Amino acid sequence: MDVQLFVDLQDRLDEASTLFESIKTAVKDLNKTCRLTSAKLAKAHAVPQAQTSEITDSVSPQFAEIKQKISELRSLIQPVTFYKYNDMWSYAMQTACALTVFTVYLKHGRLASPEDIEEYLGPKVNVSNGEVTEFVITIEEYLHGVVSLFGELSRLAVNAVIVGDVGRPLEISRFASELYSGFQLLNLKNDMLRRRFDSIKYDIKKIEEVQYDLRVRGLTS
Amino acid sequence: MSDNDCQTETRQPKKQRFSKPAAAPSTENMTDSKRAIIESFTFYRDQLDAHYDQRERVIKISRDVTALSKKIVFSLLRITQEPAAKVFKDAEQKHSAVLDLFAKMSVELQGSNGYKYNRQATPGLQEYIEALGLWFFLRDNTLISKEQVEEMIGSKGAKVLVTDDDYVLGISDLPGEVNRYCINAIGKGDHEAVRNSLMFLRSLKEGINLIMTSGRIRDLNKKLDVLDSSLQKTEQAYYSMSIRGSEMQTVNSAAAAGEPMVIG
Repeated sequence: MDVQLFVDLQDRLDEASTLFESIKTAVKDLNKTCRLTSAKLAKAHAVPQAQTSEITDSVSPQFAEIKQKISELRSLIQPVTFYKYNDMWSYAMQTACALTVFTVYLKHGRLASPEDIEEYLGPKVNVSNGEVTEFVITIEEYLHGVVSLFGELSRLAVNAVIVGDVGRPLEISRFASELYSGFQLLNLKNDMLRRRFDSIKYDIKKIEEVQYDLRVRGLTS
Repeated sequence: MSDNDCQTETRQPKKQRFSKPAAAPSTENMTDSKRAIIESFTFYRDQLDAHYDQRERVIKISRDVTALSKKIVFSLLRITQEPAAKVFKDAEQKHSAVLDLFAKMSVELQGSNGYKYNRQATPGLQEYIEALGLWFFLRDNTLISKEQVEEMIGSKGAKVLVTDDDYVLGISDLPGEVNRYCINAIGKGDHEAVRNSLMFLRSLKEGINLIMTSGRIRDLNKKLDVLDSSLQKTEQAYYSMSIRGSEMQTVNSAAAAGEPMVIG
């Protein structure tokens, strides 16, 4: 038997593990930047709606940094091996999407489109099931980012009342239920996205409870 | 009372997960923002469905490849009972059917989809590599290379991604089959077969140990345990055969010298 066969194989595996380490480092950097951004953005919960633009403006340098980190990661990946390593950064990318989705909602009161994501983060969202010829954000990563918005919305409904924005929960509730009806169209398999989808209803319920409390006390018309 | 309320409230929404609308609701009488959401999510649903379907197709083909590859292994193992030419011809026929499956699989695994669905394709691939590996061992007494595997898959034009992991995991399943062959060969008194098996397993173990240092192949550790036990079994079998062989020689030479046989 030829030992050379195994020596060659070992060389290839070593090469792969060098790349693996570089990706790991890039993902760690991306995660760190995302956490920082998340902390800054969370301040939006503590201020009245009129002041949220200050918060969203304050995170734009953070988004530039996220974009930079993603492009560093992107430079490591050959398109054909995209899915070989995708799992390694998928979670970080979901977080980056979630940050974008929340920011776009705070700014414009609407759902961030794949085009918004591209503008904020750099790579295109691959909404189709076609082959990948460049580094992309997968549709699952985007949808994970969107699911995360429900948690933010339910918190925001509660916090709006705290800062005296009693009209805001109704607006949040309308938007959340529109978005939920979108998710209900998906035929999800038993994966992480499905589990997170199943918990959306608890966020919806929380938002409805806020509205109920306001209505019952005659605080909204 | 409040406990009761809470229970009914949390139980009710659970039912919703079974009552998903099959088609997009009519977009009349909707606000613009809702219409936009429904339209994009209808599109996402179709794309996700296409992805799940494709994944399912790969799983099915992979399962069929596994079943056929196992049949190839079984017919190859009959080599100690039947003429080699017949056994190889039999394997060839089954192999042709596997190649047709690979042609189908190849359609699903173009470009980036190779890695996207590799997790679904790998069980079939590993089983196939094991079958091919046994075939090459029995025919040429060599270990099949990854390039040879790719060549075989492509012999009818299919192009299926074989990763290094697929290859290593495939050949590390070989010891079990080689050991089986070896045990059968002992029954037939085929010394050369037993010697070949042992040599083959020893160098396979050396080789796999070599790449273990670069680590990171999933499940390889488990397979290495099987390799070790197969190797031990084969060595034990060879040992017994050698002992009995020298015994027989003593007996035979004693018989030839006309001395009475000592039993017990």
